[in-house]
Amino acid sequence: MNEAIDENKLVEIIERYRENPHATVAILQDIQDEYNYLPKPALIKVSKEFNVPLTRLLSVATFYNAFSLTPRGKYQVNVCLGTACHVRGGERIMNKVEKELGIPRGETTEDLNFSLDAVRCLGCCGLAPVMMVGDDVQGKLKESKVPSILENYKQ
Amino acid sequence: MAKENAYRLHVMVCAGTACVSNHSFEIKDALQEEIKKQGLENEVLVVTTGCNGFCERGPLLVVQPGNIFYQQLTEEDIPHLVEEHFLKGRPVEKYMYTPPEEKTPVPVLEDIDFFKKQVLIALRNRGLIDPESIEDYIARDGYQAMAKVLTEMKPEEIITQIKNSGLRGRGGAGFPTGVKWEFVRNASSSDGVKYIICNGDEGDPGAYMDRSIVESDPHSILEGMVIGAKAMGASQGYIYIRNEYPLALKRINIAIDQAREYGLLGPDILGTGFNFNVQVVRGAGAFVCGEETALLASVEGRLGEPRPRPPYPAQKGLWGKPTNINNVETWSNVASIINRGAEWYSSIGTGMSKGTKVFSVVGKVKDTGLVEVPMGLSLGEIIFDICGGIVKDRKFKAVQIGGPSGGCVPAKQLNLPVDYERLTQAGSMMGSGGMVVTDENTCMVDLAYYFLTFIKGESCGKCTPCREGIPRMLEILTKIKEGRGEMKDLDLLEDLANNIKATALCGLGNTAPNPVLTTLRYFKNEYESHIKYKKCPAGVCIDLVSSPCHHTCPIGTEACSYIGLIAQGKFKQALEVNRWVNPLPSVCGRVCHHPCETRCRAGEVDEPIAIRNLKRFLTDYEKSTGNKPSVKPTPKKYEKVAIVGSGPAGLMTGWELAKKGYKPTIFEAESVPGGVLSWGIPEYRLPKDILNTEIEAIKDMGVEIKTNTPIGKDLTIDDLFNQGFKSVFIATGSPVNSQLGIPGEDAEGVIDPIQMLKKYNLEKKVDVGKKVAVVGGGNTAIDAARAAWRLGADVTILYRRTKLEMPANAEEIEEAINEGIKIKFLTQPIEAHSENGKLTKIKCAQMSLGEFDKSARRRPSPIQGSEFEMEVDTLIPAIGQTPDLSFLQGNTQLNIDKWNSLEVNPETMETNVEGIFAGGDVVTGPATVLEAMEAGKTASESIHRYLRGENLDREYHPTQPELEVATVEVSPEELDELTRPEMPTLPVEERKGNFKEVEKGYTKEMAMNEAKRCLRCDLESKGGK
Amino acid sequence: MPKLKIQDLEKIREKRKRTTMIREGGDYRAKVTVHMGTCGISAGARDIMNTLINQIEEKDIKDVLVTNSGCAGLCSREPMMTVEVTGQAPVKYVDLTKEKTKEVFEKHVLGGNIVQKYALGKGSEKTDYGKE
Repeated sequence: MNEAIDENKLVEIIERYRENPHATVAILQDIQDEYNYLPKPALIKVSKEFNVPLTRLLSVATFYNAFSLTPRGKYQVNVCLGTACHVRGGERIMNKVEKELGIPRGETTEDLNFSLDAVRCLGCCGLAPVMMVGDDVQGKLKESKVPSILENYKQ
Repeated sequence: MAKENAYRLHVMVCAGTACVSNHSFEIKDALQEEIKKQGLENEVLVVTTGCNGFCERGPLLVVQPGNIFYQQLTEEDIPHLVEEHFLKGRPVEKYMYTPPEEKTPVPVLEDIDFFKKQVLIALRNRGLIDPESIEDYIARDGYQAMAKVLTEMKPEEIITQIKNSGLRGRGGAGFPTGVKWEFVRNASSSDGVKYIICNGDEGDPGAYMDRSIVESDPHSILEGMVIGAKAMGASQGYIYIRNEYPLALKRINIAIDQAREYGLLGPDILGTGFNFNVQVVRGAGAFVCGEETALLASVEGRLGEPRPRPPYPAQKGLWGKPTNINNVETWSNVASIINRGAEWYSSIGTGMSKGTKVFSVVGKVKDTGLVEVPMGLSLGEIIFDICGGIVKDRKFKAVQIGGPSGGCVPAKQLNLPVDYERLTQAGSMMGSGGMVVTDENTCMVDLAYYFLTFIKGESCGKCTPCREGIPRMLEILTKIKEGRGEMKDLDLLEDLANNIKATALCGLGNTAPNPVLTTLRYFKNEYESHIKYKKCPAGVCIDLVSSPCHHTCPIGTEACSYIGLIAQGKFKQALEVNRWVNPLPSVCGRVCHHPCETRCRAGEVDEPIAIRNLKRFLTDYEKSTGNKPSVKPTPKKYEKVAIVGSGPAGLMTGWELAKKGYKPTIFEAESVPGGVLSWGIPEYRLPKDILNTEIEAIKDMGVEIKTNTPIGKDLTIDDLFNQGFKSVFIATGSPVNSQLGIPGEDAEGVIDPIQMLKKYNLEKKVDVGKKVAVVGGGNTAIDAARAAWRLGADVTILYRRTKLEMPANAEEIEEAINEGIKIKFLTQPIEAHSENGKLTKIKCAQMSLGEFDKSARRRPSPIQGSEFEMEVDTLIPAIGQTPDLSFLQGNTQLNIDKWNSLEVNPETMETNVEGIFAGGDVVTGPATVLEAMEAGKTASESIHRYLRGENLDREYHPTQPELEVATVEVSPEELDELTRPEMPTLPVEERKGNFKEVEKGYTKEMAMNEAKRCLRCDLESKGGK
Repeated sequence: MPKLKIQDLEKIREKRKRTTMIREGGDYRAKVTVHMGTCGISAGARDIMNTLINQIEEKDIKDVLVTNSGCAGLCSREPMMTVEVTGQAPVKYVDLTKEKTKEVFEKHVLGGNIVQKYALGKGSEKTDYGKE
């Protein structure tokens, strides 16, 4: 697959870490933030620039939950399945979101607007059950509230 | 306590924000010094309190006893005050202040349960400063401790302070912080480089104190780290923050920039020549990175995989250099310890666990949040006193402490003082302090399954026990959750758990089996229930449960289906669904204790569906259309069966047997059938014509009822067999009232509630006197009280615990209060006085609630010297009942237990005598109508198997509805509008002097709207398969 | 910003206290603190903050200080804010909405009367404030 990416942003990121070649995780995080995933050309470039084997980058990329090797949606939907959310019905919220978006957890909608994941704990247990859409945390969820929340993020 | 009681005077110094900024701590020091000077230190105790709300008068002192307020004191005033008031006993008027009469009922924060027992050290600045303003932090004495350390203290002195304070790591294992620092200080590094790390990879689900501290007080961490850096000789630090905490990341970065700009970080801090820098590392989402060796790998930019220890990070840490790792909460305590001294810190807490701990108390508690309390407070105090107990007053089940590595602690351990050692002994651990509270609607098998799924997802895969063992355990749990489990699986599960615990490489793996082990230890019965009975008691495991209402109903009412039919307006069919299993729907629609509503999932976020009221609506609707239950009797093809007692258990057995083709005869001692339904429950709850319609239908089914026919002297059980009855079911209830066991109880005017209700119900007249006290908190007590009130008496209920613990139906208690019946909680009669044999007054004691018992209720005990008298002419003790077995005439071989109840096999209801079965209150003691019906249903099946010569063992199946009822489309907006309708009731003023039914029933519109709110869990479970 | 010396800490502290303590003759007659931790924000604290700022702009008020802070601990009652008016104990308000905030602003912040129905309690928690 030939992926075309905006190289300028990538160069910026690489320059930022020029002095700090240990920061593999941080470099990949910045790339992920920029492109919503880790494009293959970007990984190849990082590998060359920092003289890190591509296999090592890939092992880091697949070890940590924060990275994705396929394009992600504009809005990341993270439904919390931490313990407090679990005992307060987080799984049912997840089912409802899956139904609303028409995708199972771990996938991205066709229009690339939403990606859906389960996360272990957002640290908002006091408001369980919770989910995060983009950077916004939504607390004290009910199944019936899910559609209108997602509606706000539709294009 | 004993020590505190010995003080003659208690002096409370306000330590609220405003008073402290008015130098209340200096006042406290001056007081203590002066008290010592005068030799009063054993007589006067000085303590700090939260804000009294009179901030403009601060600094404020309150002296007890006497409640004397002193205001606007200065240090110079202290010697005079101590000498005059404390030594000579003459309060000093010129400093005194009389608080104005309370104008508003707004409570003082310090008096609110949630805040009362909290002591803030790590959270000292919570809610008080702008976390993005370094000046705000400095204004609250920020960076004072750092300045002191950099200018006045040697590294060894700092370490001694931290060691003496007793501070232990707040992130998990609880290793003494000072000792750890000393290791790093003493570790050799070839180039002198050492590192310190703040671990903010708060991974335990349910714990978020670190996020909160970073977000609300980031400088407290930086200050702690500079102090640590000086002590250990480090010049570079890292703060590792979870990726999921964007706000925390933002605020810590702002704090670092500000501190650098002010010269509080970086080179030559505060001009002292000390250099220290800090860098933030953003986590990338891996639970295992909370483990310190994995965290180091992650900071180095590698895979966050743990490695074996030793070598410990203190010797070989980040890039091979000596490294200290403490978590956020630990660091945030450091500055306070330096400021206030090790002695102060170690004066808080228990033997080996000093200071305070922040807990995030979440899950099924009313007030969720962060609480910081001294170590050693009991679990019960944290969950019930501070956090208000369980949502919707449901039953507490357990609290999971320490995340996936911790374990659950059950109700019987609620008195456990919380510290490192005692939690470990209980099979749990402190961990980072997440407390997830679970209630009766939480399935412990599901919780164990949840944690294992979690660990499986986070296992790094490096070692075999964790990589292979955990999926094996999960397989077993899956089998159990789906109803395919076998009892031997439990042993296998335990074996596997112990193996992984012993052999996994890192802390994550070693502790991963803990949730399974603790749930097996404390909740084995729940596992057994899934395996043997295919029941998930909490109504959670979807393959067994289908819908919780259906699964939970003891007689298996398909509530989900009839609710669905009501939403469609198909009332007749909906009522039919009820009658498949229940001959008494209009009775149950009124008096059932509705366990279905407790489990209802709509109740988890809103109000539960009013399932009982919907049932009643169906029977009302039938009546309003002039219809009666239509009965198609089964042809009689089998034997005669005798049933003793026509209460709910007897009626149910008779009906079920008649349906199967038997010829059942019920023998009833009273003049009317129905047992407790007819003579026990007052008519304002259950009108007689309603009951009789259903009893007639049972008769139409082919059940013969012989009233005025007691079994006993003239007709024995043996006689029944001789008359050709092939089996006998005993359901004689539990009609003997228990006595209070207090002096004077035999006076005229002390009456038995059962006899009173019976007399009223059967003869319509009974004398209850004018001033009545009813003792007890169950339904019988409430029935007796409300009946007496209707008969014109002034009624007070005395209950030894509080409303929360009252076993009566909540609706009944509310109505009693509405009717003006007084309830004195925490009150118990201890003596009855009479004149000329007639009751005149009772003496009562006030109770206080002490330790928690196994049911998570606090035990009441009388308060010494609290006795008071109450004038009454009638006392109705309603604290319990026992069965009356006199009808057995002592000549059968039936086994009787120590509560004078008949013993049966609870799975089959068979007694030890062949052909004789028993059930209902005569077996269980006083229970509910529904439970009696369940016993009757079980007994009828056993009798059928017995008479057909089959094995009595029952087969159990997962719950599955017969019908698949379609949902009615409801728009989200419409759904938002819908709320559980309140039951329309007869106005209170129309209830006096009569027994008219109080609840009027739902209208058709109310019922259909309420049915639309149903989540229809039954359909979900089908989709899931 | 020149680097601080030890004695500067004391100066900053005194100055900050003077400007932010709500007392007679101070710069402000009232201070409103919105609790804006993650919990607070997700429960709607930003709306509360915006409502306050709008009120201040609309009414052109100069002597009310609106600030924010982190979590107040009682997550289930978020969004929360603390109102401190000259000469009175601070009052914490819970379960706020835009409408309630407006009412509290008018009646308590400007009018000096506590709005009981939304108030959780008055006063502040006992804290470990360092010794000077």
